[in-house]
Amino acid sequence: MLSQFIFSGLALGSIYGLVALGFTVIYKATQVFNFAQGMLMVCGAYFAVTASIHLGLPFPLTIAFILVGAGILGIAIYFLLIKPLGGQALLPMIMITIALSIILRAVIELIYGGAPLTLRLPLPSGVFVLGDVRISQLHVTAAVVSWLCMLLFIVFFRRSRAGLLMRATADGYEAAVLSGIRVDRINAAAWAIGTMLAAIGGVFLCQLQLVSVELENIGLLALPAVVIGGLQSVPGAILGGLLVGLIEQLASGYISPKARDIFIYVPLLLILFIRPWGLFGQKELGRV
Amino acid sequence: MMSPCNHESLLSVAGLSVSYGGKALVLSGIDLSVGKGEIVAILGANGAGKTTLIRAISGLLKLHGGAILAGQIKIGADDTTRLAPETIVRLGLGQVPEGRLVFKNLTVEENLDVGAAVLPREKGRRTMAAVYHLFPRLAERRTQLAGLMSGGEQQMLALGRALASSPRLILVDELSLGLAPLIVRDIYAQFKTIRSEFGTSMLIVEQNARLALDVSERAYVLERGEVVLSGLSADVATSARIHESYLGVQAEASHG
Amino acid sequence: MSNGVTAYLVRLRHNALPTTLRVIGVAVLLAILLYLPYVLQFRSIFGVRLSNMQLLNIGLSQVNLTLISIIGAVSLNYLTGCAGLVSVGHAAFFALGSMVAAATGMHLKLPFLATLVAAMLAGAMAGVVAGLPSLRVRGLYFVLSTLAIHFIVVFVFAEYQYAFHDVTGVAVGDAKIGSFEIDSGIKWYFFLLPITVLSCLLMRNTLFHREGRAVLAMRDNELAAAAAGIDVRILKLKVFAFSSAFASLAGALQAYYLSNVAAEMYSLNFAIQFIAIIIVGGMGTIGGGVIGAIVWLLLPSILMGAATEVKSGPGDFASFLLAHRPQIVNLIFGSIVALILIFAPHGIAGFLRPLWQRMIGGLPWRGRT
Repeated sequence: MLSQFIFSGLALGSIYGLVALGFTVIYKATQVFNFAQGMLMVCGAYFAVTASIHLGLPFPLTIAFILVGAGILGIAIYFLLIKPLGGQALLPMIMITIALSIILRAVIELIYGGAPLTLRLPLPSGVFVLGDVRISQLHVTAAVVSWLCMLLFIVFFRRSRAGLLMRATADGYEAAVLSGIRVDRINAAAWAIGTMLAAIGGVFLCQLQLVSVELENIGLLALPAVVIGGLQSVPGAILGGLLVGLIEQLASGYISPKARDIFIYVPLLLILFIRPWGLFGQKELGRV
Repeated sequence: MMSPCNHESLLSVAGLSVSYGGKALVLSGIDLSVGKGEIVAILGANGAGKTTLIRAISGLLKLHGGAILAGQIKIGADDTTRLAPETIVRLGLGQVPEGRLVFKNLTVEENLDVGAAVLPREKGRRTMAAVYHLFPRLAERRTQLAGLMSGGEQQMLALGRALASSPRLILVDELSLGLAPLIVRDIYAQFKTIRSEFGTSMLIVEQNARLALDVSERAYVLERGEVVLSGLSADVATSARIHESYLGVQAEASHG
Repeated sequence: MSNGVTAYLVRLRHNALPTTLRVIGVAVLLAILLYLPYVLQFRSIFGVRLSNMQLLNIGLSQVNLTLISIIGAVSLNYLTGCAGLVSVGHAAFFALGSMVAAATGMHLKLPFLATLVAAMLAGAMAGVVAGLPSLRVRGLYFVLSTLAIHFIVVFVFAEYQYAFHDVTGVAVGDAKIGSFEIDSGIKWYFFLLPITVLSCLLMRNTLFHREGRAVLAMRDNELAAAAAGIDVRILKLKVFAFSSAFASLAGALQAYYLSNVAAEMYSLNFAIQFIAIIIVGGMGTIGGGVIGAIVWLLLPSILMGAATEVKSGPGDFASFLLAHRPQIVNLIFGSIVALILIFAPHGIAGFLRPLWQRMIGGLPWRGRT
């Protein structure tokens, strides 16, 4: 049993890590704490529905459609909602993302209806048994792709010129503009990437479950994940996601599915008390 | 009082008036110019409007809640009066901001890379090599995080980052702030080299008037948002007015 | 920064209208408030029957729920708008209030009014606990601690519900004062109206006193407030307790009004609604909370009424509107919140106030320091 829970916890945790990573990218670039991250994930799932069912695109084109759609969505959000609000206080910045999530939910329900949909993408779906652990190929695929995406992002972030400018902008806004960085483009790119990462997570989640706006609640688990990991930390987001996935599976496996929240949010509260900067974050942030 | 300026004008500020939030004028009717290859100093006590002038030139006023009410700022032939700061940098104005503002979580090399990012790759590589040549200390610390370096080294890095973009003119704001005098003198000693090697003009804002007058050719003295004195640095240094109103205060302050 | 406080206090002083006008205004308002339930109940005004659309499709129960929400919104505005403590955990105190009211009524057999007091006390105590993280973290990290508290309280509520009640929810006793039972819309209205008005006045008046000024000072600049000798830590806990007590009261009232409440009601969206209300209404003023709650709770009825009206006309669009009313309402709400955030950061109260002042001939409140 234990190894079964650990396996599925790590697989789910990889998806959470991916969504949380997208969240961190957005937060680092624009200091926006994105409550809509779960909804962006849901958008990914519905992009998949559009491409695969409504447009009947072949699988590779479906993937391309999702990525391009998510990228455009992220850029549009940045220029329409985030930039006009530029650098306001904490609450308006949080609230605009909440408004965004309300709007996205309404639009999705208007277009696709409120009822959950079934979507089958041509992903490996068999199960093989290893000892007493049933390993679903879908879980393995999700984990592997998530890790590939995270790796790809880290290489981009650490090695490319755009990644460098992104890190510089996150380091200091004024210094960035005074170095000639076109901050708007960098921020828009960060929103595009953050949305794409969430969308990929959404595609996998909607294969493990039905496609519905209620997937948002799962996407919201990215919030405790990033805080547990450390808000500003890229590896922290990934590890936080894994941790949340593990806790979720163990708590719902051994205690009850309802107990999940308590086992995630009580540690969150403790971490806020003891190490507000997160397990892997840097100390200077957010203290009184 | 305007000194004759034979050079082609690189930066020209004409009739500039600025206020914050629609309140009293912080700058009123400032005229100022920097010629090609010149080093020009702006002097003034705290609150004279030096920082505001720099913000207006670099395009940062809006970020700090200020607005240009009248006047024009030109860099070369380009009117930059209300352009965004990043655009102004791309037109050839390098910035060494007050408080250095290096990217603390980036390495020395990455900091310079960011500066050079406005140039085509090949040219960027060349200017970075020139920066390393100018400040061998930076070359030694290439892979170190900027935030872990001493204040003097960070100041060198800020200067190097500005130079890496191969600017026509650099703005140096309060370079000496919070640094040991010896280090400040070392960095200022490089200014003439910078001009000859990078072909860069400089506009220096400095609290320490003696240093600034030593290194510059011309100087402007600001008082309560107006230019009260301008001319060749040597003349400004001997002017009775600056001795009384500014250098005198400085001397007292440094004794106290 | 400290200018903000001065400006606010000056504004409060200049808000005072000429006395006669004030008396007339209050009297008219009172008359309207007293007559309103009869209009809505009997769908007629002075004997003249009104159509549903003339009443904007608003019923008495929406008005009653709005009165309850006003208490919740104003208490959140007190915490977030006036004291600067951003909380996404306001639903937790609603949940707590309804749970305590139900539990003390059922297990301890306390009478109706006593359960309300118990709910307030429990809310105040829980508020102190929820406020503890504010001593250690602030900004975003504090917001997250309130998020954690939300999930923890809702979990406890669900456990209580499954242990003592059933999946359909917690049944709350009847609202009885002595032998008098509040069992009709009009009775509820006249019970809720004074409670809501009193709660708002109480919260408003604390802002005029020394401590209230300290609260505003703390929001504008915590360090400066601390340097001025205000014990910011104690003050934060007090504000939290005060605000939570009223949120719990609202929760308890809502539970009695609905007579059955379930854990699922108190979702994160429930809390978010209240944040939306104070943003739409206007942050940092009592009036903002009131206006926001009225707009937020009555607009859906009005919109749905309008959609029904449109249906009588031809076209697919009308039936589309009708089939997707909740989505349309949400779409409009989300957009309103976004537009207000971008274009009217002071909310509806922010742009109503100068208009109101100009009409009355008072002093403009902007730009005075």
